[in-house]
Amino acid sequence: MRVEPSRLDRLLKPLHRWVWADSRRRARKLFRFAKTEADGARDLARAAELTRDPLLRRLYFRHAADEQRHADLFAGRGRDLLASQGDGGRFEANWLAPGERGLDDLRVEQEADESLLAFLHLSENAAAGRFAVYAEVLDADPQTRALFTRILEDEVFHMTYTRRQLARLSPRKQGLRLWQARAGRVWSAYLRVAAALAAVLGHVFLALQYFFLLPVFALLAKRAARKEAEGFSGARRPTPLTSQY
Amino acid sequence: MRVLGISAHYHDSAAALLVDGEPVCAVQEERLSRRKNDAAFPLSAIEWCLEQGRLEPDQLDAVVFYEKPMLKFERILTMALRGFPRTWRSFPRAMQNALGGKLWVKGIIRSQLGVRTDRILFCEHHQSHAAAAFLSAPTRSAAILTADGVGEWATLTLGRGEVDEDGSTRIQLLREMRFPHSLGMLYSTFTAYLGFPVNEGEYKVMGLAAYGNPTYEGLLKRIARRTPDGGIALDLSWFDFHQSARHSYSRKLVAELGPPREPWDPIDLQSADGRRYADVAASVQRVLEEILVDLARRLQRETGLQDLCLGGGVALNGVANARILRESGFRNVYVPSAPGDAGCALGAALYADRIHFARPHRPVADHPYWGPVADAGELSRVAAEDGFQPLRLPEAELIRRVADELARGRIVGWMQGACELGPRALGNRSILAAPHQHAMRDRLNRSIKYREEFRPFAPAVPLEHADRYFELPAGGGRLARFMSGVFPVRPEWRDKLAAVTHVDGTARLQTVDQAMAPAFHALLEAYGARTGIPVLLNTSFNLAGEPIVNRAIEGYSTFRRSGIDLLVAGDSLVVKDHSAQALPEVA
Repeated sequence: MRVEPSRLDRLLKPLHRWVWADSRRRARKLFRFAKTEADGARDLARAAELTRDPLLRRLYFRHAADEQRHADLFAGRGRDLLASQGDGGRFEANWLAPGERGLDDLRVEQEADESLLAFLHLSENAAAGRFAVYAEVLDADPQTRALFTRILEDEVFHMTYTRRQLARLSPRKQGLRLWQARAGRVWSAYLRVAAALAAVLGHVFLALQYFFLLPVFALLAKRAARKEAEGFSGARRPTPLTSQY
Repeated sequence: MRVLGISAHYHDSAAALLVDGEPVCAVQEERLSRRKNDAAFPLSAIEWCLEQGRLEPDQLDAVVFYEKPMLKFERILTMALRGFPRTWRSFPRAMQNALGGKLWVKGIIRSQLGVRTDRILFCEHHQSHAAAAFLSAPTRSAAILTADGVGEWATLTLGRGEVDEDGSTRIQLLREMRFPHSLGMLYSTFTAYLGFPVNEGEYKVMGLAAYGNPTYEGLLKRIARRTPDGGIALDLSWFDFHQSARHSYSRKLVAELGPPREPWDPIDLQSADGRRYADVAASVQRVLEEILVDLARRLQRETGLQDLCLGGGVALNGVANARILRESGFRNVYVPSAPGDAGCALGAALYADRIHFARPHRPVADHPYWGPVADAGELSRVAAEDGFQPLRLPEAELIRRVADELARGRIVGWMQGACELGPRALGNRSILAAPHQHAMRDRLNRSIKYREEFRPFAPAVPLEHADRYFELPAGGGRLARFMSGVFPVRPEWRDKLAAVTHVDGTARLQTVDQAMAPAFHALLEAYGARTGIPVLLNTSFNLAGEPIVNRAIEGYSTFRRSGIDLLVAGDSLVVKDHSAQALPEVA
């Protein structure tokens, strides 16, 4: 099976090329990918612990081992890059290249085998497409490109087994499960955006309060702090356990 | 009377249940949720505790939270004001954090458990630590020292506890140091500087310290200056933790010590940077030890007591604990198995029972095994489904077989009975191996623990044999009961205990009391009968980044994903068979 990048990723290829051009940024991104893969390995091990299906258990263990190996490969390459280039740029554009399941919060305990397989299939599919585009834009770094190409082979296996097992467990409703998983991803994306927006608004509102309401209290607090003696204080007189103060 | 203790929201959330003054069970949320250091409200842990006590939430007489949220909020707000305007970035985040949930603990408990509001109580953070340390120790009168990063305001307290003949109990905290002057924050700041995760990597700093020289001790003493009354005053120009949520140390520290280590940078002790990191670790460790020893010595003189109970996360520093025992004048030093925040769930419940409700003290069973029990049947079922051939063996035969395998150099995953409360595996959720050769340490690091080479592994030894192999001061055997002290390996045994002897000739040993862990004790004896040395390497049963295993299936999962050769859960035994792990074509 040949993996193709999505149309969106094709359109954004120049941007991907720019993001991956800087070797220090590349190293940092690889470390981030390593962490994501290691988290994924733990999720899959948890899935193996929870499933009652012995075949799925074996597959999840194999998948977990693959993800852990990917984590080690990404981290190793990141270290090599930093060793040769030194550390530097902090901007990573992670919204553009989040890595495998980088933005999906997977709660293995809450998923039935079918829905988990559908989720994994879509997730692996998306990651494979993204890894394919990374491999394409890394012409200046053949070692990292080779790494992505190697990992892509595993991704193909993961895509294949998740689809096959979904068909085995849910032969009649596999299409529905995939659509449900897609809808779940869209809903999660909406929640992420909404939560991020709410956090930004809350941040701005609190920052305004900070600058307009707090200065006077800040003066008083600083003055009180200057009067504090160094070292030990007498222990605070215990308050009743019914009190939150 | 039924009292539920809860700790949550910062790190290591947990729940503990007390019925008629005696602990029934306690468990950290991470063991059930499988998220390391899970700080979420411990609903799974609470549900499990209630299930064990066969209780519904409305049958609880009290639910005790381990700190006072409003007082903590006052500290957070005050520090933001004191740091104005430099705290403009951290203020919105801190407020969102507090106002978004952590402040409303009473409402959370009421909505999650449905208990009446008047039954929800709040114990101060360091009182919870003090109660966990004192009320679970086998003593009726002791000095108490608690130290951690910070609770509400207090970062370190000195006090005393007493139990009268009639069982009435008093815990009196005499003095405290207040945020931002904190020994825990000092150590955590250097943990962060050395590239380790704060609240998790502190023991790595302790391990790394043995490779270095305390060349920065002078600087550290300027940073953490002693005050005339024996306290410390941190020079805040070296820190950022009091005004930033992101950085714990300031640029001034980096200018003085050089660039910090990035988390992914391996520590190469042959390189100049590697040696510098080790020296920094040795310096902060030395300063911490000296301050703690001095504080304990003053407390001993002031109270005249023989026993000291240590609590708070700083009490996990086994090197410092051993020095306190040797040098402070206390005859016994007691550290609970969970001196950190997880143990506060038990501490808060005990405090409420003994002090708030004034019920008579009852000795707390002197063991760390308060969690869920491993199910041998679960292991047998899953292993058989996967093509292994699990065995169910009588205990004597099981111990013989495991001791034989250990003597042959096999690595064993060992799950017996109830899970430990606290960060140490103390023989019920342990990975065991022969302790004799460096090669075993390397093999464990490479194929199971995937961790830094400088970190030592711990030995376990029957209490009655400990003196033969380790230089234990009086009271050392007790301190080592929950692996809370680091002691020298006797020079003549270091070569034969190479896998558990740290570079400085010490080991963080566990002394195993037959009454506390009979099966583990029997295994050590059986291993000793085969090899002449009843000592085993004992490391926590988990992989990097995961909590210690709880259920048998989690032990099995770890066994499948690592180089463990043999897995035991209760009376069930499984031997690694690689052909059983192959995938069929249908995949």
